[in-house]
Amino acid sequence: MNNNVDFSRMKFYCDENLCIDCNGCVVACKEAHEVPVGVNRRKVITLNEGVVGKEISLSMACMHCADAPCQQVCPTDCFYIRTDGIVLHDKDKCIGCGYCLFACPFGAPQFPKNGAFGTKGKMDKCTMCAGGPEETNSPEEFHKYGQNRISEGKVPMCASMCSTKALLVGDANEVALIKTYRAASKGKGITTDSYGW
Amino acid sequence: MENSSFFHRNKAYILTLLGLSLVGFVFVKFMMVMDWEYLIKYTLHVITGGNLDGVLAPPTSNYQGMVNAAFGPNYEAIAPEIIRASNERQLYIWWVFVAEIAIFCVMYTISGRKEALITRPNDQVQVFSIFHRAVIWLNVIIIITLIITGFNITWSLRSEGGFIPFMLRGTHEVTGLLWFPIWLLMTIIAFKDIKLLSKNSLLRKIILPGKYKPMKRIIFIVFVLMGAGLLTSGFIIWYLHPDSHTHAQVIQFKRALLYVHFGSSVLIMFFLMDFVYSALVAVKGNLKGLITGKYPREHLEQLAPDVLADIENKKGKMA
Repeated sequence: MNNNVDFSRMKFYCDENLCIDCNGCVVACKEAHEVPVGVNRRKVITLNEGVVGKEISLSMACMHCADAPCQQVCPTDCFYIRTDGIVLHDKDKCIGCGYCLFACPFGAPQFPKNGAFGTKGKMDKCTMCAGGPEETNSPEEFHKYGQNRISEGKVPMCASMCSTKALLVGDANEVALIKTYRAASKGKGITTDSYGW
Repeated sequence: MENSSFFHRNKAYILTLLGLSLVGFVFVKFMMVMDWEYLIKYTLHVITGGNLDGVLAPPTSNYQGMVNAAFGPNYEAIAPEIIRASNERQLYIWWVFVAEIAIFCVMYTISGRKEALITRPNDQVQVFSIFHRAVIWLNVIIIITLIITGFNITWSLRSEGGFIPFMLRGTHEVTGLLWFPIWLLMTIIAFKDIKLLSKNSLLRKIILPGKYKPMKRIIFIVFVLMGAGLLTSGFIIWYLHPDSHTHAQVIQFKRALLYVHFGSSVLIMFFLMDFVYSALVAVKGNLKGLITGKYPREHLEQLAPDVLADIENKKGKMA
């Protein structure tokens, strides 16, 4: 009997050729999870702004690294990685030290200014709409981490709202296949359906 | 003649420099994963250009431009060292203090404890004014708070996080801000060497009496320099609160400052422990004087004649 279980590994991918800097993903994320003012779990960056033909945009959030530096550096060990590769954290353990911010290559950890004596509070980051360690879909989970759409079989809010399908999410192998298909079909007209990918 | 040689006169400075150089060399060469070339260039870049983002040269590709704009450049230069140091601080820094305490135990076994022979306990001399004592004790309280709350962050694998460590972490930041004026006052009142440089009457009034012996002077210099490093780095780390859009512009600067904070804290702790041993453990009777401000004249005659001479000198001038 083969004991090797091939778990999916959930990943985001943003196609910089399709992203139009609409910030729909940012707004959808903030709205869905009621993210406080000053905290953005997702951001869109634009390069060569205003230069025709050279302007490219990219939507970014936590990349849910397989060997996550935030998890390595956290002094309270508040991070955990699910079997599907989603990196989550426990806000009850977090002390808001900010080490994860120094270690993260992507600037994903965010800190509201609601901590002790007006200092920074507990870390907040993209959960890939997978909630946290609280009971699934409980009010406590929503209050601390936002919606848990993954448990309902739904795509994360940012990707589901992306109008150009620039932002993809799913098993890394599937996402890579889509990217390959798009690359192979480049210049041959519309290559993706209106729904799904 | 041998005692007046250059080595004997400067033994404390030479040995301290040699010790720090040896530890520093081993640390830099074999333990750290820092890109020193980048760090030196980056420091010069910040000083000469005032640009904190860490982009030392314009991007040569779209990919490099994206990395610079989204994440900040050269992640591999400083961040891996922070990850390594954070992990190892949790596991090994304990042993640095164990080693230092072991050294003190050996010194205590060899040298014992100095104690003055007091026959006239009522013949007391005022050494510390109320102002001196307030500054000294505020320093003691704040530094102890900073050590406890700082190690609360470093060692929270043991506390497993939660509400109390979270509050202590906030307390560390606020106490650090409170320490700034107290550190500055302590730096001024303990600047005994200024008597050689300045004849300002106000300064002479508030400077602690006595002269520095080489080892105490080293501790004072470390307190001033590492205190400045801790306060400056701590304040900027606390003040710079990047959001998702400004993150890439300041994160490299914050990483470099965090390392300054780590390094300064280790050095200042080492020498403060040395100071506590030499002032309170190696000599008996100092603590009471720090509370009341007075010492028996015989205690000063036998253990701190420079302090007594300075006080008598001041009294003589006033009379």
